[in-house]
Amino acid sequence: MNDFINQALLGPLELLGRHVLTVLPNVLAMGIILLGGLFAAWALGSFAERLFRVIGFDHLCDRLGMNAALLRGGVKTDPSRLIGRSIYWTVVVLASIAALGALNLTPINQFAQSLLAYVPHLVTAAVILLAGYFLSNFASQAVLIAAVNAGLPPARLIAACSRWGLQVLAVAMAMEQLGIAQHIVVVGFGITWGGIVLAGAIAFGLGASDVAKEFVERRLVARSKPSAADDLHHW
Amino acid sequence: MNNGLTPLTAPTEAQLQAIGSVEILVGIPSYNNADTVGHVVRAVSAGLAKHFPGRRAVLVNSDGGSSDGTPSIVARTVVDYQHLFIGDQQSVLHRIVTPYHGIPGKGSAFRTIFEIARRLKARACAVVDADLRSISPEWVELLLRPILEEGYDYVAPFYLRHKYDGTITNSLAYPLTRALYGQRIRQPIGGEFGFSGPLAVHYLDQHVWESEVARFGIDIWMTTEAVASGARVCQSFLGAKIHNPKDPSADLSAMLTQVVGALFAAMEQHEGIWSKKEGSQPVPLFGFPYEVGVEPVNVNVERMVSHYRQGLTDLEPIWRQILAEDTFMQLRNLQGASKTDCRIPDELWVQVVFDAAIAYHKRVMPRDHLLKALTPLYLGRTASFVYATQGLTSTEAEHKIEALCHTFERMKPYLLERWQPLAPQSTAPALLHHTTTDAGGDHE
Repeated sequence: MNDFINQALLGPLELLGRHVLTVLPNVLAMGIILLGGLFAAWALGSFAERLFRVIGFDHLCDRLGMNAALLRGGVKTDPSRLIGRSIYWTVVVLASIAALGALNLTPINQFAQSLLAYVPHLVTAAVILLAGYFLSNFASQAVLIAAVNAGLPPARLIAACSRWGLQVLAVAMAMEQLGIAQHIVVVGFGITWGGIVLAGAIAFGLGASDVAKEFVERRLVARSKPSAADDLHHW
Repeated sequence: MNNGLTPLTAPTEAQLQAIGSVEILVGIPSYNNADTVGHVVRAVSAGLAKHFPGRRAVLVNSDGGSSDGTPSIVARTVVDYQHLFIGDQQSVLHRIVTPYHGIPGKGSAFRTIFEIARRLKARACAVVDADLRSISPEWVELLLRPILEEGYDYVAPFYLRHKYDGTITNSLAYPLTRALYGQRIRQPIGGEFGFSGPLAVHYLDQHVWESEVARFGIDIWMTTEAVASGARVCQSFLGAKIHNPKDPSADLSAMLTQVVGALFAAMEQHEGIWSKKEGSQPVPLFGFPYEVGVEPVNVNVERMVSHYRQGLTDLEPIWRQILAEDTFMQLRNLQGASKTDCRIPDELWVQVVFDAAIAYHKRVMPRDHLLKALTPLYLGRTASFVYATQGLTSTEAEHKIEALCHTFERMKPYLLERWQPLAPQSTAPALLHHTTTDAGGDHE
């Protein structure tokens, strides 16, 4: 009877106890890492938010049109807070991955490693998107002003094309960086642009040939015969 | 302060060694001015021989890489002194023909001229454009004698011009500098100036040679810097200014950007000075004023109005950032039914200029964008001026400009209220001997 109790009941319990004792330090470590990570996330997020607020990042974004773009997208949080929250959640995710890694379980370790290996791509893609956004705003404003000063009637259309062109390019580059259907992105980008240009050319050729003819004639005549007399000396 | 020397070519260095020192320097910046530069050199040479016969003088041509032989014309132009009744030329006029370094532009050409003035310890300097057709030997006297004999530091030109000649000067540069610095310098971006040797050294020591000043901003910068540094300023009547037409490909927007950029940058730098000035004082005028016929100017007002109206539509988001809400609304409300009409009154134009200066100061957008976006507004104002002065003589049009100047002065509090200092500014005038702390500082 004693043997039965020892083998059938206490044995598994002892085994379970040994397992628990083996895993317990890892679980404790996971808890500590998670708690520490949460604290670090809170501290870093708050610090970053305050720092960006102090250096006038919100004002800069306002001038660059970022705040307006965020509002258009339904985001009412200011950019400093957004950065603070982004840092908070980034640290939380990293701490969670590290905490899971502390359990030392093979599938979780593999998952964590692949996730960590993907982070640089995510960061690069985010930087590309941000840079593309700022660059497109700057370039389209410059194009708009130059086109108006040159007296080109479709100034706004030209500026909008330059903005969207740059933003689409940035999105394509970011997706390529993320490894999402790399070839499809490149090919799709080529097909889309080729299609737009071809469609525009056909539409203009068929529907507005008179306008094109008039435009070319006006340009050529204007160049060969500067009839609009104006020798105003601005200087 | 910049204690480094502006680089000069080896032959120029050798010439400077040989010349040693001079009393007078006349500079001619040039770029492809073969048609006119010979006349300018003859006028300068005759002027120096006739009016300053006993003084050591040098003529400096600072060229921007002309491909039409301008420098060689400067080097070999001869003057027939006998036919000009100049028989007692007492000293040889040295000539230095040199290319300049740095950003291509008039300002960089001037920098080289200032450097040569410093090396040769010139007492009095003058600069004249190489495209002038109306320059006479008397211009040299009028630009230099106030410095050599009357103790002035800076001589601005005073021309007779057609009412539509020099519209940036009339609508912007003159009224704004007058309202800011309190001195009525009628042609602050005239192109021909006289200045003392110490003022040339002061110019050279400023860190501006990589900015708009290196290009077309040099003229307005020289004037504002002279006034702000406490220099004694006067004007000389030079008669009519006739010069070769500017390069037709020259972009108005770029010119306006450079002039207005230099003006606004000077406002930031000299905030401590202009913020304390009220009203304006006349500036002494040398020479003998007389009436002269000026060349007619054809104006295409419809094109200017068309540019302005397109700006009002297409640049609305940008103008809304630059201008105060009230200013923009007034502009929009003024847009009449007629597509060729445009009337921007004086008060509104002053608000536009002051708003733009404030926006530039507060960096509400990239400064280059801000300055370029002002072009249609400027064209709208120019069209308004043309409509308002149709049928008027140049003298009557001058009264309109005077009224605009008074409006700028009267509305200066509008600027002061909205201008927020970014950092403590130095209020002390720089370097020159005529400062408020000096015993002789009587012109403040």
